[in-house]
Amino acid sequence: MHELAHTAAPPDIPSPLFRVRDLSYRYANGTVALSDIHLDIAAGDRVALVGQNGSGKTTLIKQLCGLLAPSRGNLSYRGQFLEGDHLDRSRLEIGLLFQDPDDQLFGHTVLDDAAFGPLNQGLAREMAQQAARLALQRVFLDDKIYKAPHHLSFGQKKRAALAGLLAMQPRVLLLDEPTANLDPRQEEVFLDLLKGFDGTLVCVSHDLVFLYELCRRAVVMENGRIEHDYAMDDLVSQREELRAHGLDFSFRLVVNASTEAAVADGPTCATKDNDLHSDSGVASMVDMHDYNFRYPDGTQALKHIDIAIASGDRIAVVGENGAGKTTLLACLLGLQQGEGTYLFEGDPVKRKKRKELWRKVGMVFQDSADQLFCPSVEEEIAFGLQQMGYSKSQIRTRIEEALGMVNLEGFETRVPLHMSGGERKRLALACVLAMTPKLLILDEPTAGLDPRGEELLLAILRELDVTLLLVSHDIFFVRALTCRTLVMHQGQIIEDLPTESFLQDRRLGNLNGLAFAFRQRGGDAIRALQHEHEHRYPHRHLHSHPHRHGEIVHEHLHEHAHEHPHRIVHSHPGDAQDHDHRPRRLQAHDHPDHGNDPDHHP
Amino acid sequence: MADVIHIQMPLWQLPLMVVVPPAMLLALVVWLRHLILARSMPGEEPDWSVPPLEADDGGSLLHRWDVRCKIVTILAYSFMVAALQHIGPALAAIVLSCLLLVVSRASLSRVTMRLLAIAGFVSMFLVVMPFTVPARDGDTVVVINQMTWFGFNMRGLLLAATITAKAVAITLLMEPLLSTAPLPVTLLGLSRLGAPEIIGQMVLLSYRYLHVFRHEARRMSAGMQVRGFRKRTDIATLRAVANFLGMLFVRSFERTERVFDAMRARGYKGKMPEQLELKLHAADIIAAGLWMTVGIVLIIFDRLG
Repeated sequence: MHELAHTAAPPDIPSPLFRVRDLSYRYANGTVALSDIHLDIAAGDRVALVGQNGSGKTTLIKQLCGLLAPSRGNLSYRGQFLEGDHLDRSRLEIGLLFQDPDDQLFGHTVLDDAAFGPLNQGLAREMAQQAARLALQRVFLDDKIYKAPHHLSFGQKKRAALAGLLAMQPRVLLLDEPTANLDPRQEEVFLDLLKGFDGTLVCVSHDLVFLYELCRRAVVMENGRIEHDYAMDDLVSQREELRAHGLDFSFRLVVNASTEAAVADGPTCATKDNDLHSDSGVASMVDMHDYNFRYPDGTQALKHIDIAIASGDRIAVVGENGAGKTTLLACLLGLQQGEGTYLFEGDPVKRKKRKELWRKVGMVFQDSADQLFCPSVEEEIAFGLQQMGYSKSQIRTRIEEALGMVNLEGFETRVPLHMSGGERKRLALACVLAMTPKLLILDEPTAGLDPRGEELLLAILRELDVTLLLVSHDIFFVRALTCRTLVMHQGQIIEDLPTESFLQDRRLGNLNGLAFAFRQRGGDAIRALQHEHEHRYPHRHLHSHPHRHGEIVHEHLHEHAHEHPHRIVHSHPGDAQDHDHRPRRLQAHDHPDHGNDPDHHP
Repeated sequence: MADVIHIQMPLWQLPLMVVVPPAMLLALVVWLRHLILARSMPGEEPDWSVPPLEADDGGSLLHRWDVRCKIVTILAYSFMVAALQHIGPALAAIVLSCLLLVVSRASLSRVTMRLLAIAGFVSMFLVVMPFTVPARDGDTVVVINQMTWFGFNMRGLLLAATITAKAVAITLLMEPLLSTAPLPVTLLGLSRLGAPEIIGQMVLLSYRYLHVFRHEARRMSAGMQVRGFRKRTDIATLRAVANFLGMLFVRSFERTERVFDAMRARGYKGKMPEQLELKLHAADIIAAGLWMTVGIVLIIFDRLG
């Protein structure tokens, strides 16, 4: 069997911008977040910092901008340790983009916030305002400069936060999950903005397609250590390495037979065009007809909504931010009351019925932290069951079953607040599944998950036998889990069609902020890389070149045995399993300068 | 000295006196709230590329008045109004406050909402004081069906009305004081007048993050509701509410640490940079002097009355 060629050694940088040596860091509670970090980053580098949740990535970038001081070892920026005056100066050159934009938008208006950094840099007021305006123009927020940050959408907040850094004209940008919770169109805007940045960039993200487009170097972290430091191409091309570090996202790149079968074998979903319900006599679980909802301030959030959801349906709801998806979910859950017809299992959802909907409709929020508030996992799952009136023994049984369904056995006494993002998501799912809802609603279930977490969640969701309503921008999950898609736009359902038809309609994708051209481009490139291997195995060549036999120099065709790395490009439809490249007897590739090799004919 | 004058009224008129006025007041409050909400339908999105105060044609004298002068003058004037003792000058104070509203082109709906906020409190005076103020010689007391212990003292009504008028006059001043300059400008003015800067910074950050915490609390509350939580008067509800508040506190605390990190990462070293410069002009001082004169005249008028 062959082996992959040895990966490239970390780059040797003579005058690095950042030099990290033997750096370790321990939090006040004793957690060792970083151990013996050895890293050089050159000016102009574009480094992807990857690893599972809890590997130390965020701690490392906080070290790089001086927010945390090393417990051991040292870190220098531009040749000096980050301390004293040099630290103060460096903070004005290094921009850190937080994962949650609300953490760094603390100004009264967007303009005030963007001018904060330049003012701290010592710029005069007018100059600082000018810098802020220019930065806001770059991120396409120049028409919202006097808006209060809390009135911005999430994507706008992200851009405003980035503008606050760009206004300082930093040399270095450190980004913590810059595209988390953004829809694909906003991701593409962000990608273009970051590509336009000409300084040094260190980006923490789980989105390897995004990182592939942006970065050229990848540093892989695990348990607080740097495991690998090599080119981005080398990282994404090696599925085994990705899988070993819980980063394998390749399951998204392969449309395999099992995915299609799962969708094809699922229950037939009714659409507007082939409505099964009224003719066949099969009752819908959910029936909404001419349903409207207006907020107290007058905003018409839902207009003439018509939906029918049958038992067993697996439906995606897609649409750009502000399309009305969240409001629709709130009405389905009974949290809001609109006007029009809403029947659940044939009964009109009026006041009393609305208050009891929670027994049959469950929802996992986009941010699972919003629905976890108990001090232990056990209490968290028990909460809903207690509201339903189950006995203690029933509750105990259901807790065990629910934890088993989401691979969280043994987590009963854990504190939800201290669990990882993926674990919290599965816990939130367990809390809902324990209540055995008839309709399960998932709002952006992949938000904040690393690739391993996504794969695990996908496996769990595939096995569930429940009517499913999925709100997501994640095209892969939409395709993998649903057979019908409702497209929302400006409060209305503009299309109700099979998922495959939706995915093939580019116009609908673009309309709904789901344009995923760069994802397609990146995914294709990565898939090609993953099938372009560098192998080293014994093989024989047939070639002709001048060579010596004793005192005679001549040239003729002859066979040679070689063993060296060379690249082979394959095309493998389907899963990239271990494949056997049986070496052919004779290889036909070139060996430049082989004739001058002194060891060729000893 | 004149004795207390009792005016007898039949019993059937009691409901008219005790129930009808509060009911009318309540109906007025509800109607005004409904009117304001109905009028606050979202129209066109404002142009956020210009400051909101300028967009609303905020070029009034009060918008241009130096914020320090404005704060000192209006607060001092408010104390003068509070010192008034008679209904006449108090009503004059309301008229002057309304004049200020017109000059500052204040939003009628916002002013009404401010008044509605104090409506409950001041109506309590109007309802209770006439029945609780002790009768003195010369007072006129309306007695229902010989129940002298339950007399409606007209002097008490006058006193309550005077308090109400003063409260309304001062409340009407709050809109010109607070909405003719952005909050950061007002807080800067306060700090220049001697208020600790840290207080201003805290108020500004609190205002910003109150919205964030409110949204978080709403989402968490929804998270509890979708799992069947309803408030009851039992220990389980208490425990759930305690968990909710505890989690909200923890999340808020963690956020404040991150916000502080974000501020430090952008060069914050304990002092927020000033985004503007305050300049005092002679016109600002003259306007302050004029308004204080008006207040003094009002007090003299009140004392002479």
